[in-house]
Order: sequence, then structure tokens, then C-alpha cells
Amino acid sequence: MLSYILRRIVATLPVMAIVALFVFSLLYIAPGDPAVVIAGDQASPEDVERIRQSLGLDRPFLIQFGSWVWRILHGDLGTSIFTNLPVSTMIGQRLGPTLSLMMVTLLLTIVVAVPLGVVAAWKAGSLIDRAIMGFAVFGFSLPVFVVGYMLAYIFALELEWLPVQGYTPLDQGLWPWLQNLILPAVALGCVYIALVARITRAAMLEVLQQDYIRTAKAKGMGQGGILFIHALKNAAVPIVTVIGIGIALLIGGAVVTESVFAIPGLGRLTIDAILRRDYPVIQGIVLLFSFVYVLVNLMIDVTYTIVDPRIRY
Amino acid sequence: MDRRTVLKGLAGVGGLALTGISAPAIAQGASARTLRFVPQANLANFDPIWGTQYVVRNAAALVWDTLYGIDSTLTPQRQMVESEEVTDDGTTWTFKLRPGLKFHDGEPVLSKDVVASLTRWAARDPMGLMLKAIQQELTAVDDRTFKWVLKQPFPKMLYALGKNNSPCAFIMPERIAQTDPFKQIGDYVGSGPMKFAKGEWVPGAKAVFEKFADYVPRQEKASWLAGGKQILVDRVEWIVMPDAATAAAALQNGEVDWWESPIADLVPVLKKNKNISVDIGDPLGNIGSFRMNFLYPPFNDVRARRAVLMAMSQEDYMRAIVGDDNSLWKSLPGFFTPDTPLYSEMGGDILKGKRDLDAAKKLLAESGYSGQPVTCLVAQDQPITKAQGDVTADLLKKLGMNVDFVATDWGTVGSRRALKTPPGQGGWNMFHTWHAGADCTNPAPYTAIRANGDKAWFGWPNSPATEKEVTSWFEAKNIDEEKAAIGRLNKAAMDDVVYAPTGFFLSYTAWRKNVSGIAKGPLPFFWGVSKSA
Repeated sequence: MLSYILRRIVATLPVMAIVALFVFSLLYIAPGDPAVVIAGDQASPEDVERIRQSLGLDRPFLIQFGSWVWRILHGDLGTSIFTNLPVSTMIGQRLGPTLSLMMVTLLLTIVVAVPLGVVAAWKAGSLIDRAIMGFAVFGFSLPVFVVGYMLAYIFALELEWLPVQGYTPLDQGLWPWLQNLILPAVALGCVYIALVARITRAAMLEVLQQDYIRTAKAKGMGQGGILFIHALKNAAVPIVTVIGIGIALLIGGAVVTESVFAIPGLGRLTIDAILRRDYPVIQGIVLLFSFVYVLVNLMIDVTYTIVDPRIRY
Repeated sequence: MDRRTVLKGLAGVGGLALTGISAPAIAQGASARTLRFVPQANLANFDPIWGTQYVVRNAAALVWDTLYGIDSTLTPQRQMVESEEVTDDGTTWTFKLRPGLKFHDGEPVLSKDVVASLTRWAARDPMGLMLKAIQQELTAVDDRTFKWVLKQPFPKMLYALGKNNSPCAFIMPERIAQTDPFKQIGDYVGSGPMKFAKGEWVPGAKAVFEKFADYVPRQEKASWLAGGKQILVDRVEWIVMPDAATAAAALQNGEVDWWESPIADLVPVLKKNKNISVDIGDPLGNIGSFRMNFLYPPFNDVRARRAVLMAMSQEDYMRAIVGDDNSLWKSLPGFFTPDTPLYSEMGGDILKGKRDLDAAKKLLAESGYSGQPVTCLVAQDQPITKAQGDVTADLLKKLGMNVDFVATDWGTVGSRRALKTPPGQGGWNMFHTWHAGADCTNPAPYTAIRANGDKAWFGWPNSPATEKEVTSWFEAKNIDEEKAAIGRLNKAAMDDVVYAPTGFFLSYTAWRKNVSGIAKGPLPFFWGVSKSA
């Protein structure tokens, strides 16, 4: 297993290299020029050109790419064109809010979606099943920003229970941290809960038809034991897979959620960097996200061996 | 129904529900010594010479002081300077600094700091470049006195040193001001009324300014960038909110105290909330515009440009930008900011009265237009440019033009408009923008009115008559001469259609009623602003 994990980690390197080349090339050919944004609306073309030179943006593609790769190999993600801060510092400033949001959303999803899916499968065809699946369709259909605004209206403006926006670090207390994350996590989690609940139901339905379930019932085992010990464990592989894939959805959804709830996370940093053409920041974030995605896939593969001992690498 | 409508509806319901309800518990615990402000844009960098965006200028005005400051009558007043002398021939200016000026690191402000700061500023600012071109020497005479010797008189010297147009002549310590003007500074020490808390800066999210205890305000009443800059709170937090509906909700919920520029759609909601005040933020407003490329057909022919002016309705443009609030806009048959001393309508008849589409079509045909595509760049991520672009596309179609509507983002427009290649090869025929009214009160900061061909702003208008009158204004010795020059300039620029003004529009600012002292002006002034619990 250890050698497998090591092999997988080594295998991420070419993936990251391809991502790096792809991202760099894409940004190079994309229209837009950070020097224009920096220089402002009233700047002369000569000013813009001087800024381009000072940023090294006038150098040939290969030289720019080589210099960037060289810095990456030395652990340096570069410096933001706009803020003059190291990209690693900027990512560090934004990592906490995004990780917090994703963690709370993931936790909320697992706690809500898996039991919902199990119950829907158990009561397949009943009113409960239809209600849960109806909620799932609803969750899929509503865009994150609509859910976000509705939650903000009800729970912040109307009931005054929670704040509309912002982020408080965990070191300032559990409740201050949590109260800024509840609404965004619910908004972001809606699609995710719907997805996981549906997959859980489908996987459970298949497992519940198996002979060993009938045997467990015949032996007089309780419903809870059948569902959560025998059935859920055997249905876990597709559920774990979809939770893993869903992390990619979360990354995308965080961009919108962080904007709606003014959370200073990586999603907002990404949008800001793209709109301003802050190349080093975009490249740093994309590399980070691709690394996280590869890592999540590795974790999913490792989790398979835990939930299903028959799987070995 | 689009997203904007949905947001408006939701915010509206929220606003109605909140009317008559006191601020929530979350807000009531907030310190009255901290003012929470939502700026118009993200403070992505903090070098007001290197980056000339308005948001940077606005923040910089807290941290760095200027030698002079423009007041609400657009007159430069002494700020860091105690006195000045100019020789009879107008070529040698000697300035003396106020005593007791200190930087945030405790060091005194000396003449050498001023000389280094002005040198860096002059390399980037249009007026600074003019000064640099005629400069003989700029030297420190002693710790508090410096001298600027010119080869010829420059009557607008005090205006240049005190203007609020970006880049302002901010004074920095010599060690910082010696940075290449095309490279960004990383040390934010100034001598202004507030210190920049660099450690708390999260670009794109938050910037914090703390009261500078050793700042010595002038005794005069504060007026824009002039007078006594009395800071009445300990801390000002800039909270960046990219989403307007969120900012509106945060203001209603008491999570922020002042929102610099609410979008027009949400203003009715804010006005209904009894805890919120809403008023015009900047009386100098903005001038909407689109520019036509003088280098290529059809707009290399003045008849084609005039045909567009004859047909366009400024009301259409203004309603697209500000909606139905008639107090927020007015027609602008000229290029200068209404209600300012130099405003003129000379030559502006073409934009007045009923629109004559038939005459415009006839003039367009006379220009030789034969149906070639007109590449129209429209940034969709800026509501003002998007609104104007939609109106223009409709206008051009009514004129029988073949519109190549390029819907893109502001970043792309910014770089593409600099291309001088033909429209079919990456170039363009038209793009939309707008100008802060504060930049259009006279020709000095008004890059968009310049018409010196290749050296002019994008579109590269060539109008010797316009340029002649720009020079006349710079050389004018009194306000009457200035007004006469501007009248002629306005006519020349309109005759040659240097650009197309789409109208004058204002915008609101909104704050909670426990905040007082907010002044109307071209930037948010924090001096004199206080907050009660």
C-alpha cells in the first residue's frame, strides 16, 4: 500500500507539469494585459509599455515559462503583479476561509445527505422517498447564488440570526467562526447534498436486493443494523467516489458562494486575479487546485481499501 | 427575468421587511471607534503613483498628504506648505513646508522627501510631465524649503500640486520615493492623517487604516483635500464586497457603516430603510462616452462621426445607466463637467433637440460608408459600459451600419483598444468608457479631450484646433481667459468629434444614520466623519 501511495504521489508530478504548461500557455494567449489595468484609464501607451517591461511581460514565451518553472522548482510561486505580495502569502491569507467553508459544507453534506439517501432507499416508492428525491431535484435546480440570497434574506435580514457576510477565523472562537459559515455552507451544500443523497439511494437500492441482506433479515437483525452495518458499508464505494468528485464541485461553487457572502477565500482571489490578469496568482491557484484534486483522488482510492477489503493495489 | 432583477427583488423584500426594525444584535456590539466602509472597488495595490486607479488614490489620500489640496470650489489651498513665492517672470517657485510635519515612522518631513516625491510623480502624471519638460532644477534649499526653477512660466503650478486627479502629488519619505516610478513600492509610510496597517491588508478583501496620533491638521475647516483633516475615529476598515446585493444587505444589517457607491437598482431599497441615509456622493459625477477610431473607415471621416452624434439620444444612454431617476442625469452638449466654472456648451447644438435619423443617414452615406463591419468593443463586466454598448449597437443598426458587436470583459477592452491595427486584424472602431467629472473640469487632467493624433488617447483623434485651445487654456492668466479658451475648445472638439459624450450622470452614496460628517466630493473623505454607538 505504501509503495502504491508513493507511486501515485510521484505520478502526480507529470500531471502537475502538464497542468502548469497548459495554464501558462492559456494565459499567454488569452486577451488582456495586466499592464493596462495597472496603468489606469488615462495612461499613455508608452506608460503601459514601460510597465510591461518592468513586469517582464515583453519577454518571449519560452523565457517567461522557463523562469516561472525554475521558480516553482525552488518552491517560489512568484509575486503578484498587482499587490507586490508573494503568491504563497496571498494563498495563505485565503486558504483558511476556503478550507473552513469546504470542511463545514462537506461535514454538513455527509451528515445530511447519507442518512437521507439511506432512508429514501429504505422507504423506496413511499411519500418519504418522493419527498427526499423531490428535495434532491430542487437542490440540483437552484443556482448557488439564488439559494445564498434567499438564505441571507430569511436568516440574516428577516430573522437576524446570522450575519450576511464576512469571515471570522477559528482562533477567535468556535461560534464566531461558525456563524459566518452556516449560510454559505448550506447554500453551497444544497447541490452537493442532492447529489450524494441520490447516489446513496441508488447504491443502497442495489445492495438491499442482495441475498446477504435477505439473510440478515431472516436472521432477525434489526432494521438499523441491516441498513447501516451491512447495506451502507457495501454501498460505500460509489458514495465515497461521488463525495470525492464533489470536492471539485465545491471548488467551483466556492467561487460563487464566496462572492455572495463576501468571504475572503481562494474563490474570490481567483476571480479577482482573472479579471485583473494577475498571471502569477492565477497560475499559483490553478496549480494548488490541481494538486488538491489529484490528492483527493488518491485519498478516495485509499479509502476504497478501507471500506472494501477486497480492493487491493 | 435576469439575475440583476432577482437580486433587486430579494434585496427589496429584505429592505421592506427591515423598515422600522432596529439594527440587529450583531451590529450593536461593534465599536463606535471603528468605521466600516465598503469601497467602490478592490484595493489591489497601494502605490498611488505606480497604479492610478481611483480606489488607490482614495486610500492613498488617507495615508499620504499633499503640498496643496483642491477644495470644493476647485481652488488649490495650502496643505503641507506654509508659504510659497514665485518670481515676477513666473519661472522660479520657492516653497516652505509647515513646521512639525512627521511621517508615520516618526521621522520629520524634509524638503529632500518632497523633491524625491515630486520627481517620481512628475514621471507619471500628465501635468508632472509638462513640468518636467520645462524644468531647470528641483532642489532642496534647506530642511523646510525647496525650489522649483522652470525654463518658462507654468501658471497652473499650484493646481498641479494639489489636484485630486490620479496620480496626485503625494509626499513620501525619500527612501520610498526613490523607487522607479514604473515599479511598485512595498513600504507604505506617509505623513497623512491615518497609517496603513500593512499586516492586516488582505488584497481583495480588507484594508485597515489607523489614526496617526502625531498628525497636525491645519486650522482651516476641511474642504475636500484641503483644510484640517481631523480624524474622529480610531480605525477605518475597508471591506471589499464584490456583490452589490450583499453590500446592500450588510448595510441594512448594520455590518458595515458606509457604502461608497450603491448601484442604482438598490437605492430605492436603501432609501426605505429608516436607519440609512442616501445622498449624491460626488456632485462632479461622471461623463459617459464612446470613442471612435480616427485611423480607419468609417470613422476616419468626420462626417461619419458627426452622423453618429446627430442620431444619438443622450437620454437613451442615461436611462440605460441610471434607470428612471431623473435627478441622476442630465444631457451634456459639451465635454466639461456641468456646474463647474469652465463648463461650456459652445458647438454643442448637434447634441440638442430632436434627433434627426434621416439627416444622419444622409451624412453617413456622404462619408462613403458602404456597409463594412463596425467593430464595437463592449465590456460586459462593467454595468456602465454594457448599458452604453447596448444603446450604441441599436443606434448604429438604426443608422444602417453593420455592427460587429464584441461582447468581452474590461481587461480585454483595455488591451485591445491600444491596438492600432485595422479592425479586421484585431483592432477596433468603437469602445465605450466613462470619465470621472473631477477629471473633466479643465484640460489638465483630461486625457480624453486631447486630440494630438498618435500621442492622443485611444482612438487617436487628430484635431489641431482642439489642441490649440488646450494650449490657450494652459497659458491663460485669469478665469476669463480660461473660460474663453474652454468655449473655443469645446466647439473645436465637438466639430471634429474628438469623442462622443453620452451624458452626465451622478451616483449615490449610502451610510447608516449613526455616522455623521460625510461630505460630498470626488472621493470619500474620512476626515470629519464620526460614528456613534
